Amino acid sequence: MSDYVVTMEHVTKTFPGVKALDDVQLHLLPGRVMALLGENGAGKSTLMKILSGVYTRDSGDITIFGQKIEGDLNTKQAQALGVAIIHQELNMCQHLTVAANMFLGREITKGGRLDNAEMNRQAVEQLAKLGIHDLDPEESVGNLTVGRQQMVEIAKALLINAKVLVMDEPSSSLSNAEIVEMFRIVRELKAMGTAIVYISHRLQELHHIVDDVTIMRDGKYITEGKFEDFTMDQIIANMVGHEVKNQFPRETVPKGKKILEVKHLNAGKMVKDVSFEVFEGEVLGFSGLVGAGRTETMRAIFGADRKDGGEILLDGKPLEITNPGSSIRHGVVLAPEDRKKEGLCTKLTIRDNIALPNLDIITAGSLTGKINRKIENEMIEKGKSSLTIKMSGADAEAGSLSGGNQQKVVVAKWLARQSRVIIFDEPTRGIDVAAKVEIYDIINELKKHGVGVIIVSSELPEVMGISDRIIVMCNGRITGEVDPRHTSEEEIMTYATQFGDHAAAS
Amino acid sequence: MENKKRSFLSKPGVASVLTAFIGVIVLMVIFAMMNPNFIKRNNLMSLARSICPYLLVGIGQGIVCITGNIDLSIGSVLGMSAMISATLVCNGMNVILAIIIDLIACLLVGLSNGVLVGKFKLPPFIGTLGTMTICRGIAQLVNNNYNTGDIGTGGLKDLFRDTFYYGRVGYVYYGVVICLIIWAIFWYLMSYTATGRHIYAIGSNVDAARLSGVDVFKTTTTAYVISAFCSFMAGLITMAAAGMGSMQAGMSYEMYGVAAAVIGGISTLGGSGLLVGVIAGASVWAILQNGLTLANVPVAMRNIIIGIIVVACVLFDIMRRSGMIGAKKKAA
Ligand SMILES: Nc1ncnc2c1ncn2[C@@H]1O[C@H](COP(=O)(O)OP(=O)(O)OP(=O)(O)O)[C@@H](O)[C@H]1O
Ligand SMILES: [Mg+2]
Repeated sequence: MSDYVVTMEHVTKTFPGVKALDDVQLHLLPGRVMALLGENGAGKSTLMKILSGVYTRDSGDITIFGQKIEGDLNTKQAQALGVAIIHQELNMCQHLTVAANMFLGREITKGGRLDNAEMNRQAVEQLAKLGIHDLDPEESVGNLTVGRQQMVEIAKALLINAKVLVMDEPSSSLSNAEIVEMFRIVRELKAMGTAIVYISHRLQELHHIVDDVTIMRDGKYITEGKFEDFTMDQIIANMVGHEVKNQFPRETVPKGKKILEVKHLNAGKMVKDVSFEVFEGEVLGFSGLVGAGRTETMRAIFGADRKDGGEILLDGKPLEITNPGSSIRHGVVLAPEDRKKEGLCTKLTIRDNIALPNLDIITAGSLTGKINRKIENEMIEKGKSSLTIKMSGADAEAGSLSGGNQQKVVVAKWLARQSRVIIFDEPTRGIDVAAKVEIYDIINELKKHGVGVIIVSSELPEVMGISDRIIVMCNGRITGEVDPRHTSEEEIMTYATQFGDHAAAS
Repeated sequence: MENKKRSFLSKPGVASVLTAFIGVIVLMVIFAMMNPNFIKRNNLMSLARSICPYLLVGIGQGIVCITGNIDLSIGSVLGMSAMISATLVCNGMNVILAIIIDLIACLLVGLSNGVLVGKFKLPPFIGTLGTMTICRGIAQLVNNNYNTGDIGTGGLKDLFRDTFYYGRVGYVYYGVVICLIIWAIFWYLMSYTATGRHIYAIGSNVDAARLSGVDVFKTTTTAYVISAFCSFMAGLITMAAAGMGSMQAGMSYEMYGVAAAVIGGISTLGGSGLLVGVIAGASVWAILQNGLTLANVPVAMRNIIIGIIVVACVLFDIMRRSGMIGAKKKAA
């Protein structure tokens, strides 16, 4: 008899065209955090969805608290057994309130009538346990920042008194402060004896909370053990199947002439008097806390949001960008941060997604605007080979890809055309180490071809490792500029937290 | 951020509803100025009664819209309800029994819509397009492709006509009271019960709702069955008013339902809107019909004007919500 609260053995799952899980095993102990690691598409989310009853397994044995699960497990049963999951993609009803979301599917009623007062009270209490005291339970979730929504998800999972908590990439959309907060919560849960599965592609953060690791690759179980028994290189090698020498390959190319100049840009509430320049062959990093106005700045430049003032110059000439279409034609493109909402048409095929912003090229030379399959196929091939997208074929639905592979499709969209400036907003969110390096390699390649690259990232090691210059924003303003080769995380964080309204732009 | 009792106005949907009610008042003032007869007691009484069918289909369509779906079968179910009940009564069946059979038939349509859309995942537009055509066919079939004759008088038949159309308590027709009771029941369901919460949830994010353990099929079906029930009631009212069954009854009413719901601030995209708004939405529709008739506007012009006003109402609401007008932006 073991102490395991959950054991999964020989679990297999096939989707049409993909063997997502092939004889996988997992063992969870109470009061310990298990990191479940693997490349994009390795099958981590699938395995966890089986444990929480979202998917049914084709075969394999699952035991939860000594109870062998016969037949299919559904979400209700899994919850009743104390298994809660925070899904990789945020899953909230934007129109409903915080409390309504937390109690969705298990509302408290009194005589058939919703007991909102009690639900609000418990929601506040649960949030307070997580150290959140300033959240109105009657606020619509749609009005919250992504980070806040994530906290609500965690609070929701804890409501069912979870004894097994699965966190599928919870940190990918949180600010550093929020991550610290979340780690504190995880430690508390651990102390209470909760078994936790923690999935993340931010390997640097693991040592803060992780006790054990299970590593998967291509739907197969590779190894498991105590976290301290592995070196980071071993973990990566097990995940990827080969060694990754340099996690942040920054190549330096001579800085060329100025391409893009942004002068005194104002837009909405989150972009205040932003000015900066981008040069040929440089990677300009944008750092700051989540919600610092970086995304809003980029959206305004790209023409996705209205500008209230300021000027944008391309090659010294004023640029009239009124909508994303005109921006794309001028060669200024944006790969947005929220891949599901803005980056992809999830119901369309991978082919259609890559072709979508490039239809002008694909239909060029045809009087009737006919799609030229040959050019289209070349584009897809180019994207596929430079990014190694794991897919059953280019005609698969984009939404069926694993999170990381979806992100690669977003990037692939823009590689197909000659652009002057490419803006990447959180390009590696949810992407595995090997794929990150692939994206960095692409960035280096673009740089060599004289493209100006802007990269917005909340991961400090990433901006510091890949950029040639870093601009730090706080509260809609630029608060500092640093050289990544001669700076520290502390210096960047100082600029990133200069909340004073008149912070000097150094 | 403040943790105080939030102001009534800042509650989601309330502003849209208020806008709609202001629209009602504005229209009433305009029509009263154009023709003083508009605000005569008798006209107001029949105006209130003429709102009823629109209110009913608005409630049904509104609830289905909140789930993020649409019900195109509403008008046909209304016609079917009128035809089945009238045919049965004309053939000498007891009125109450006829109504019960009629009710069962209508609810079965709602159930089928729920199964098609909620279980077999047919796009709601297609699934209910099918039932819409079938139900119109049934409405034609029940009396061999003829409208029924007069249902006659005496006993329960008089009571039936009185209850649903002609009778009144004080200055209010019974029909109006019945509709308001039905409205109140569904308003309670939507605002205060878990079922209502689930209806909003699947319209807002069906995946999130499913993963939270909400039974999407059951919830979808509930919405369609409610919609069918409302159409059934509207059919009875129409039948009682005419004293006969018409095969054409309820033509286009699914769209009047959409109009009432949308003018009242319910989004056709699902997840948001308050049932109070439907009262205003249905009123706008009925007031326009009534007021333009009194103002001697020819039918063709009436249609054009109503179309323009409906689009303008909704446009106004969208612009207000996106902050293009009425400045007062929400502080973060
Ligand atoms: N609903 C689905 N239909 C078809 N294929 C699917 C579905 N869900 C997952 N897959 C496939 O199963 C494989 C495993 O996907 P999964 O989402 O479990 O990966 P993951 O390890 O969580 O990756 P990531 O780190 O990118 O989130 C992938 O090849 C994916 O394309
Ligand atoms: Mg995943």
